[in-house]
Amino acid sequence: MSESKYTIGNIDISTVKSKRPIRKGTLYNLVTGFMSLMKGMKITAYYFFHTKEVVTEQYPENRETLKISERFRAELKLKKDDRGFLNCTGCNICAQNCPNGSIEVIAMKGETNKKEIDRYIWHMDSCTFCNICVQVCPYDAIEMKPNFESSALDRRLYIYQLNKYAGPTKKNLDKLEDPADMQRLVNLIKREPYKGPIPLGMQQGEEHNFNHPEPVKKIVVKKETAKDVVKKDV
Amino acid sequence: MNANWSLSNLTERINMSSVFVEQLMWVAVGLIGVVTFISLLALVLVYAERKICAHIQCRLGPMRVGWHGILQTLADGIKLFLKEDIIPDEADRLLYFLAPFFCLVATLLSLLVIPLSPQVQIIDVNIGVIYLGAVSGFGILGVIMAGWGSNNKWSALGAMRAGAQMVSYEISTTLSLLVIVLFVGSLQLSEIVLSQQEGWWIWRAHGVGVLAFILLLISSVAELNRTPFDLAEGESELTAGFHTEYSGVRFSFFFLAEFINMFILAAMMSTFFLGGWMPFHIGQLTAFNAAMDLIPPAIWFIGKTSVMIFVFMWIRWTFPRLRVDQLMKLEWQVLMPLGFVNLFLAAIVVLTNFYFFA
Ligand code: SF4
Ligand code: SF4
Repeated sequence: MSESKYTIGNIDISTVKSKRPIRKGTLYNLVTGFMSLMKGMKITAYYFFHTKEVVTEQYPENRETLKISERFRAELKLKKDDRGFLNCTGCNICAQNCPNGSIEVIAMKGETNKKEIDRYIWHMDSCTFCNICVQVCPYDAIEMKPNFESSALDRRLYIYQLNKYAGPTKKNLDKLEDPADMQRLVNLIKREPYKGPIPLGMQQGEEHNFNHPEPVKKIVVKKETAKDVVKKDV
Repeated sequence: MNANWSLSNLTERINMSSVFVEQLMWVAVGLIGVVTFISLLALVLVYAERKICAHIQCRLGPMRVGWHGILQTLADGIKLFLKEDIIPDEADRLLYFLAPFFCLVATLLSLLVIPLSPQVQIIDVNIGVIYLGAVSGFGILGVIMAGWGSNNKWSALGAMRAGAQMVSYEISTTLSLLVIVLFVGSLQLSEIVLSQQEGWWIWRAHGVGVLAFILLLISSVAELNRTPFDLAEGESELTAGFHTEYSGVRFSFFFLAEFINMFILAAMMSTFFLGGWMPFHIGQLTAFNAAMDLIPPAIWFIGKTSVMIFVFMWIRWTFPRLRVDQLMKLEWQVLMPLGFVNLFLAAIVVLTNFYFFA
């Protein structure tokens, strides 16, 4: 199908032309049409007689042996390396791009005097699992995982804080020379899981605001760099 | 049993009242039998359809109610009977009420003449083929009544399409049945079965028979309103066609009629082309033939019909749907001319005695 007049060096860059629809006689079309129908019948017969091709899972019964695709999108997670450090810089791009406003990123200026993530909050109840947040993240910091057993009876339980550890990004931590310093720094600002406000007045008397209980600025340490802090404490 | 019904002696029969009452009793018993039969049949067919389509699509189908979901259709039936029966405000109530019964009665009437085995045939009419053609037209009436009575544009469109389609495809159905009528020389269904003692018409009438069989296969799929010819119900464009507005028991009547119709057409195909309840015989192999005779005729009939039903379902879940104009073109420009040519050739074959085992 290709014509070799479009080349760059040895590479043939001519596009493959799609087959033009065959306009032949009625009889020819009748025969070819019949043959292609038979081909379809063959394929469906194959699937009918080969029960191993069945993809349905009998879920609650085969919970132990359940096969679920790696690409199934059910749970948003922050990527961690083996030391438990995060890639997320708190840049807020994922939150801005989420069509449903399901992500809240609360950032702060941290020990390394760089922007770092304080809390990463994901509202699963309004998430459509569209994967946009994962695709737009410039630091490759989040991913979708196939763990789908997340049902709960209360909508408030669908608000996740994804980071238990908050602190400097992996990139900044890697700049520190002494691994012991690094661990110190991580321990220094360990925070508890999310206990923040609940949206849309699910319970009476609770106001709907996303203001963080602790104002972000309070934790900000000015002028001192991470290394200084570490030295002082030693 | 052998009710020799024909117009000429009908008047005589009415005078001979005792005989007439006897006939009437026989028909009543037959009807009760048929109603039981179709209820069971529908359960089996719906289950089969769901399982077959599931496996064709790499699914499992119903698995929860009973062993491998075997009681699923029963549960669905109970659900349908308990459901609310909704009647649209603006519906033409008479037509709306009568339509499902027309559809069901049409299928019941066709079932009466099908020879299930040499013993089981409720009425053996001597004009069986014409009777079948006439009675299946009755079902079209039910469909059109349903579409018109619902007072819904989708239903009306679906009914018009169904009417046009069924009427058109009736022609090629009849043309292919006439081929066999030419060979047999009789319109009586039991005669047609008996004539296949030496060989089934599909190969006994060689080329002509095969072509007629294929024509009948295509046109019966079309008459059943199943994919690739399901324009009348086209779920994506007409929501459900003529039975959009129906719910509960009335809907289940349409459902029942559809599945029984499938059985009837499969039974017709096996009666006309595959020897009905006749066992499979090969020429002079007496031992083989005797072994085949051991299998009861009813089993033969059910086996052949099941194969045809499987083919219908297989076609339904494989092929894409046609457009309305393509549908009409297929019938009037391809199938009908082919049918006529085939009938003409069949006539030549019959006249020259050029068929097997003559
Ligand atoms: S997850 Fe990615 S996009 Fe979202 S705040 Fe963190 S680094 Fe930015
Ligand atoms: S998957 Fe889509 S909806 Fe869900 S948090 Fe990400 S961007 Fe928002």
